[in-house]
Amino acid sequence: MRRRPLRGQFPTKVLLVRLTPLKDVKDRLLCLLPLTVILSGWELLSASGIVRAELVPPPSKVLMTLTSQLSTASFVLMVLRSFSNLTLGILLALFMAAPLAIWAGLKRQVDSTITPSIMLAGSLPDLALLPLLMMWFGEGSLAAILMAGVCAFFPIYFTTREGVRSIPTEYFQVSTIFHSGRFDFVQKLILPAIVPQAITGLRLAFDFVWEVILAIEIIARVAGIGSFINMSVERQTVDAAFAGIFAIGILSIIVDRCFFGFLEERVKRWA
Amino acid sequence: MELMQVEGVSKFYQDGRVPAALRDVSFNVHEKDFVGVVGPSGCGKSTLLRILAGLESPSSGRVWFHGREVSAPQARISMVFQSCALFPWRTVVQNIEYGLELRKVPKAQRREIALGLVRLVGLAGFEDAYPKRLSGGMKQRVGIARALAVDPEIVLMDEAFSSVDEYTAEVLRGEVTDIWKETGKTFMLVTHNLGEAIQLAERVVVLSSRPGHVKSLLDIDLPRPRDPEDPDFVRLHKELFALLKEELETSIVRHRLRRVRELQELSDLERT
Repeated sequence: MRRRPLRGQFPTKVLLVRLTPLKDVKDRLLCLLPLTVILSGWELLSASGIVRAELVPPPSKVLMTLTSQLSTASFVLMVLRSFSNLTLGILLALFMAAPLAIWAGLKRQVDSTITPSIMLAGSLPDLALLPLLMMWFGEGSLAAILMAGVCAFFPIYFTTREGVRSIPTEYFQVSTIFHSGRFDFVQKLILPAIVPQAITGLRLAFDFVWEVILAIEIIARVAGIGSFINMSVERQTVDAAFAGIFAIGILSIIVDRCFFGFLEERVKRWA
Repeated sequence: MELMQVEGVSKFYQDGRVPAALRDVSFNVHEKDFVGVVGPSGCGKSTLLRILAGLESPSSGRVWFHGREVSAPQARISMVFQSCALFPWRTVVQNIEYGLELRKVPKAQRREIALGLVRLVGLAGFEDAYPKRLSGGMKQRVGIARALAVDPEIVLMDEAFSSVDEYTAEVLRGEVTDIWKETGKTFMLVTHNLGEAIQLAERVVVLSSRPGHVKSLLDIDLPRPRDPEDPDFVRLHKELFALLKEELETSIVRHRLRRVRELQELSDLERT
């Protein structure tokens, strides 16, 4: 049987439903209050000239720059480039960490062999690897993807391993009683059972790797939205820098609500 | 005809300190039998059931099923778990279909079988519900349906009614009796509840305290449906209870003796 984890509500519907449940519109509006206060205060400070607009442009200007930038191909490509580096890094980590974590979660001996080394590697500051990666793989996207992969590996490994370890013994007995083959064992027991923890791991990895990708782009000038922000500051087009930051924020919210939110809604049906 | 033969089954563990779980257990199960297995807690009755299911292997002795030795799970031996062990990510129907899915039964056919079983265990209307929405009794009904779906000859039940409240357990016992009569399958139930064993079983295997061996084999030839207040029922219950009480006392005495021996050894050590 084909598994159908993504059937059901269309993601944007989840976004709308989660943002505007009619019964507590009041609460939702209330949560916008601090944001409104900050933005209007900021607007006033900038517009009145108390803060120099060249250093801190008013939100209205940022918004205008953002809308105009969003219609230029180069800006959109920058954002997409960062996002694809991030996604590829996480996917790379997922394909490396998940099988290892499942193996370690199932076999005590494998776990006690490899997990201490992984813990040790995970406790090192990951970003320290960046200069080496850039020396080996050049100062382009490849180094950024590999760096992202390294950073995403650990949260995915540890959450997935925990997911496998928390599967009750009886579930294994059920699968043995009914003669599960090796493939069915993974596909029909292990994978569905670890979905909740795997989502947590991916979410942790996603938040963490965004920071790492931006750091790489800003510090090491790998092309992407981070380097765009950096260049905008250097060219003293601070409104463009803010537009870049806003774009990242909006993209993160969309991924959080549409992708992770959607998966979590699906899991909540049974978990 | 003998369906299953248990022949001198013992189970002990590598670390010598723990007393063996089972010692030389032998009995036969015939077709359409309903066997109850009772014994004091920790006597290894669940271990015995897992050995019969092929989930564990005996340290010595053999289990024969249709004249062939059981060394791994058998296609026609199925099991119901105390904790139900339903997969939470599967709906009622999907849980029941699980065994059939692994056997590559075509989708339409397994759905038909599953829906039939949903009706048999009285869960119509809950086909697409996830286990978290079900009560304990409903979950165990799904567990029973899942075990029956693969058309087993023998259904092993491990304390199947002890995780639900007494009223629900009573209803479930009645349903299992009906299923047993209707399907003509063989059932074996491990339980610590003597009344339950007498109410359901044709024969009761009484295990001694750890390491468990067959202390007694009782035939229950009371007419069904069985009434717990029937004098014969009460007499059997008393008889079983006396047997178990004896075991409980020996196990306590043995336990005390062990303590005494340990103390003795300690004082011996101190002296040397």
